[in-house]
Amino acid sequence: MAVDTSMPILVVDDYKTMIRIIRNLLKQLGFSDVDDASDGTEALSKMRSRRYGLVISDWNMEPMTGYELLRHVRADGGLGRTPFIMVTAESKTENVIAAKKAGVNNYIVKPFNAQTLKGKIDAVFSA
Amino acid sequence: MTAATRKTRPDRPPDSADETVVEGMLRDEILSIAADISRMKQEIGRLRPGEIRQSHIPEAGRELDAIVEATESATHQIMEQAEAIMEADAVDADAYRAAVQAAAMGIFEACSFQDITGQRIGKVVETLHLIERRVSRFIDELETHDLIDATAAIPEEPETEDARRKRELIVNGPQSDGEGIDQDDIDAFFGECSAQSDIDKLFD
Repeated sequence: MAVDTSMPILVVDDYKTMIRIIRNLLKQLGFSDVDDASDGTEALSKMRSRRYGLVISDWNMEPMTGYELLRHVRADGGLGRTPFIMVTAESKTENVIAAKKAGVNNYIVKPFNAQTLKGKIDAVFSA
Repeated sequence: MTAATRKTRPDRPPDSADETVVEGMLRDEILSIAADISRMKQEIGRLRPGEIRQSHIPEAGRELDAIVEATESATHQIMEQAEAIMEADAVDADAYRAAVQAAAMGIFEACSFQDITGQRIGKVVETLHLIERRVSRFIDELETHDLIDATAAIPEEPETEDARRKRELIVNGPQSDGEGIDQDDIDAFFGECSAQSDIDKLFD
């Protein structure tokens, strides 16, 4: 199934540089409607005011981490089915297991490249 | 007769009242010094120097090494992409445009080192703060406390709110080479272990 490149995507990261990098990678992959948030709290607020087709989130943020955001999203009846990819430097097995148990759709370890990002987006929407 | 000689023969009566006073003062001073030494030993124990030397400092060193490697690798990658742009043949406009775009993507990918090195530096700063806290407490204890029972067990340092939050929210930060799980392993995990029962097996 082809991925809808017009869908709005929310990128969540506390590093502006990282948001800029992911934005440009997504743009290169054909996604033009990209929004961003600097932590889970802001992301949750944006998600409640707009329906996103995909969330790409870092883990290690304050005051609300990406892991907390994921759990909030999955527990929210209106947002619970939103595809969610974790893009993070947190690469301990316990992190991956916890994210998987919390309902993440895919998991990318930083640093990564455009091909890896494309592969995971494709995998999420073909599942 | 010297004080040392008298010390070896405690049953001998003092020669004078003055000597008795001096002996008493000396004994009190020595006891005071002994108590101070005991207290310092106790406080040095609370610094947990072994833990700092064997765990925190080496870990901080590994983080700094990883930062040096990451910045060097990113610099090379950015320079290679810049060289690719400089060497691209501009005769074919479409090919040139594609080459420049590919190089620009490579530069963006390389710039992601900033996020990871930022997190690594954060871990080093945490180590410095931990040492600072313990040394400050050590100084405070020496300045303000009287005799502490040297035989008392060294209490565990209470977990800070920040440490508790990181533990509960599984915030580990970037792993060093060979320590974390790599992307291939994660892909296999997501591809092969989609059922809850498979996840549960990882806990057996």
